[in-house]
Amino acid sequence: MINRFSPFFVYAWLLVLAGCASVPTQQTSVPEAVPQPGEAIVIEPAPNTVMSGNPAVVALLDRSRIDTAAGQREAAGASLERALRIEPRNAWLWNELAQLRLTQGQYMQAITLAQKSNSFAGRERRLQAMNWKVIGNARVAQGNSAGAEQAFKRAADLDQAAESESGHGIGLFQ
Amino acid sequence: MKFPSLPSLSRIKFPFSLNVKSHARTLRLVVLLLLLGLSGYIFYLNITIREAFEGRRFALPARVYGRALEVYPGLKLTSVQLAGELRALGYHERPDPDEAATYKYTLNGLEFTTRNFVFGDGPQASQHLRVEFADGKVSLLQERGGTDVDLPISRLETPLIGGIYPGHNEDRELLKLSQVPKQLIDALVSIEDRKFYTHWGIDPRGIARALYKTVSGQRIEGGSTITQQLVKNFFLTSERTLTRKGTEVLMALLLEMHYGKDEILETYLNEVFLGQDGSRAIHGFGLASYFYFDRPLDRLELQEIATLVGMVKGPGLYDPRKNPELALKRRNVVLQEMVSLNVITQAQFVMARQKPLGVVLRPPTGTSPYPAFLQLVHRQLQSDYREEDLRSEGLRIFTTLDPRIQHEAETALSQRLAAVEKARRMAANTLEGAVVVSSTQQGEILALVGGREARYAGYNRAVDAQRPIGSLAKPIVYLTALEDPGRYTLITPLDDSPLVWRQPGTTDWKPQNYDHKFHDQVQLRTALAHSYNVAAARLGIDLGVERILGKLPLYGIERQPPPFASSLLGAFELSPIEVSQLYQTFADGGFRTPLRAIREIVTADGKPLQRFPLNVEPVAPPAPVYLLTAALQGVVREGTAQQLVNWLPAELNVAGKTGTTDDLRDSWFAGYTGDRVAVVWVGRDDNKPSGLTGASGAMTVWGEMMKNIQPEPLQPVMPEDIEMVNVDPVSGLRYNEDCKAGVLLPFIRGSEPTDISACVFASADTPKASDNPGANAAVKPGGKQAPEQKNWLQRIFN
Repeated sequence: MINRFSPFFVYAWLLVLAGCASVPTQQTSVPEAVPQPGEAIVIEPAPNTVMSGNPAVVALLDRSRIDTAAGQREAAGASLERALRIEPRNAWLWNELAQLRLTQGQYMQAITLAQKSNSFAGRERRLQAMNWKVIGNARVAQGNSAGAEQAFKRAADLDQAAESESGHGIGLFQ
Repeated sequence: MKFPSLPSLSRIKFPFSLNVKSHARTLRLVVLLLLLGLSGYIFYLNITIREAFEGRRFALPARVYGRALEVYPGLKLTSVQLAGELRALGYHERPDPDEAATYKYTLNGLEFTTRNFVFGDGPQASQHLRVEFADGKVSLLQERGGTDVDLPISRLETPLIGGIYPGHNEDRELLKLSQVPKQLIDALVSIEDRKFYTHWGIDPRGIARALYKTVSGQRIEGGSTITQQLVKNFFLTSERTLTRKGTEVLMALLLEMHYGKDEILETYLNEVFLGQDGSRAIHGFGLASYFYFDRPLDRLELQEIATLVGMVKGPGLYDPRKNPELALKRRNVVLQEMVSLNVITQAQFVMARQKPLGVVLRPPTGTSPYPAFLQLVHRQLQSDYREEDLRSEGLRIFTTLDPRIQHEAETALSQRLAAVEKARRMAANTLEGAVVVSSTQQGEILALVGGREARYAGYNRAVDAQRPIGSLAKPIVYLTALEDPGRYTLITPLDDSPLVWRQPGTTDWKPQNYDHKFHDQVQLRTALAHSYNVAAARLGIDLGVERILGKLPLYGIERQPPPFASSLLGAFELSPIEVSQLYQTFADGGFRTPLRAIREIVTADGKPLQRFPLNVEPVAPPAPVYLLTAALQGVVREGTAQQLVNWLPAELNVAGKTGTTDDLRDSWFAGYTGDRVAVVWVGRDDNKPSGLTGASGAMTVWGEMMKNIQPEPLQPVMPEDIEMVNVDPVSGLRYNEDCKAGVLLPFIRGSEPTDISACVFASADTPKASDNPGANAAVKPGGKQAPEQKNWLQRIFN
């Protein structure tokens, strides 16, 4: 399970980043990346301008994502920690760090950092959903499929709640 | 040459071969053995000297850096503070700050050029920056160029805060021979060893002179070539015997056999001892140039070079700071030798001779201006690295120390202790103290003060002083209670009546309150705010002593206190840094973040070696921690720490706890704001009573320090299962939301009082809706909370 998961997730993550860098419709070329039931799911990243109004933090997030895409995860983590020193209570940054730990295979830390993000998330349902997806993916990797299902269920509920709160299904990032 | 004892020796050993032939054979054998022995000795010396040469040539201390200042628009910073940071990094004020490490003031701020610098996460090229300020904040950050470009963020170089040095704390700035000015080599050869480039390691005439002086009973001295001096430097010893000299000569010859003149000279230039800076030994001309003139060697002028070269003969005697007259005389002797050998012109000589010494005055910093913090870093490194690697591999260690916060912590401690001693007519330096400041969400240690003499590398109280923590332990008891909302809320009445605790193996324990009174029934939040011992002890015993103490490892405290009820009131010892770890978890909403002093380590050539990433672990549910923080804010608002308002505005909403131990020996304060956790201990090294409570000692240091750090206000995020309810502060009954007589208190959903009381302003004597108090088991408005219990002062103000 773990062996199958890790490269998949890394690939999915890069794919997502590629999407972020506005390279469209990459998904069609990788049909095998479609998640199977009970397996990890893709977490759509938030635009970094949603994540912080502070240009310094946004610049560090940019740098972190570029480093992640280049496989420089240690450096990416260092930039995220720099951003967190400027905005230590920014729930989005904690989620970003949780996602990074996930790609690094540090599943326990991914889970606890997602929990920490949730502790600062207030009523940001979308963000809470993202954190539960991180927790779900980490549990998949740990071989805890029941726990993963629960986490994904919570993520889905939160996404739905967010959608109904925002009216016509206009997501936070659109 | 005759060997008189030889025949007899032979006779004993070989009694059956006594003839002339055998005499000759024996002689040959002995000579052979002697030669063999000598060869063996030389072989041994050869290995020793080569090892020393190879080893020392590359021994570079680990360099320890503080945090980099991140500059970005919106940052709370003034131009004076930024200029201070730049000066601390060795920047010089210049009219045109185009060169790296120069700056100038502008109308609204500063303009400066950073250095190329390799951080823990990669290199950053030199930048010419312009920073402007408005309202105490950075308002503009631009990179200057053809067109100025706005930057979102930039960081200054990390300040060097110390080193971990090889040998006897030897520090050096390694130079290649090509980086050394020719004038320096000329000067050195002129005064120390004119035949350096032609001799083979020794100066026979010098040796002859030394031999003669020894034989004639005078001191052995002089005659040392540069090569011999280098050998001497390798094996630091002041021993002056003939064998020592012999060994030195042999080693010098061997060195010259193995290495070229340039290699020997380069090593000498980096090795030679040139002064002492507290506990740090200054080795080599590269570092000496910075130490005495604050400039790299290639920017020194002739007379400055001559000063350094003159010091080789006696770094203490010719120290230009301590003995400027002798140093000046010696410098001029060097210049004289240079001109007599025609390596400088007469004009150069005259010019250089007229100049003053020009040494920069600065206080010695020793191995670090922050010895307590450096010691902590060193100890953490020792668990992962070999000591010899730390002292020789030139590792670069990036730490969390914030020099500005460290400065505020040091100043607050030394000034407040002096003020307290003066106000209480104590002898000066009776009191000691320690401070630890960390960042709330990252657990980074920003400042660590090990004593009031912060520059002195002595007893590190922040890390090594184990003191009873007194009431600082109470939050553990209260958190355990609040984790059970069915039984305990902030307004649950606690029993503060006399208690006798009997436990086999200990004497009976009868806890007292600080005011020597008992308060019968008090609300939980009030018992914590006023630090009532008996109520806390009863609560803890009720919850289970072992259950509470067993939670300490969760909060990062490895030490296990004795399983006695008195431990609940802090009758066990912790160091200030351990207390910091404990309060970190409370400050961070129940997440434990191990305290860190190191961020990353890179090799001498900039390759990442190790990172210490941020790790968090949820160890306490967020809602009870939220309640605990609210109660600790009550301590500052209306409890034992209310005098903190003399230093900090109420809007900061600081949460904190005072701690005082038996006979007023230890004075503690631990508290947190939105972004900082800080712990202060004050007491005496001899453990005699200091006469201080937590509030009269440690808290005043805490307040003074925080006032200058300007922390963020504490606004914990409210967990979803928390509800704010307006309650009667005395009865604990619920008021309508708009009732002005009530106080707004947080409750875990389901534990809030349900019975509504009529809103009446005169609160204390209000008839309570007392006919049905049992609806909520947690709230038992005990009728004994009556006005007659209060003293006359309180009655007047009611």
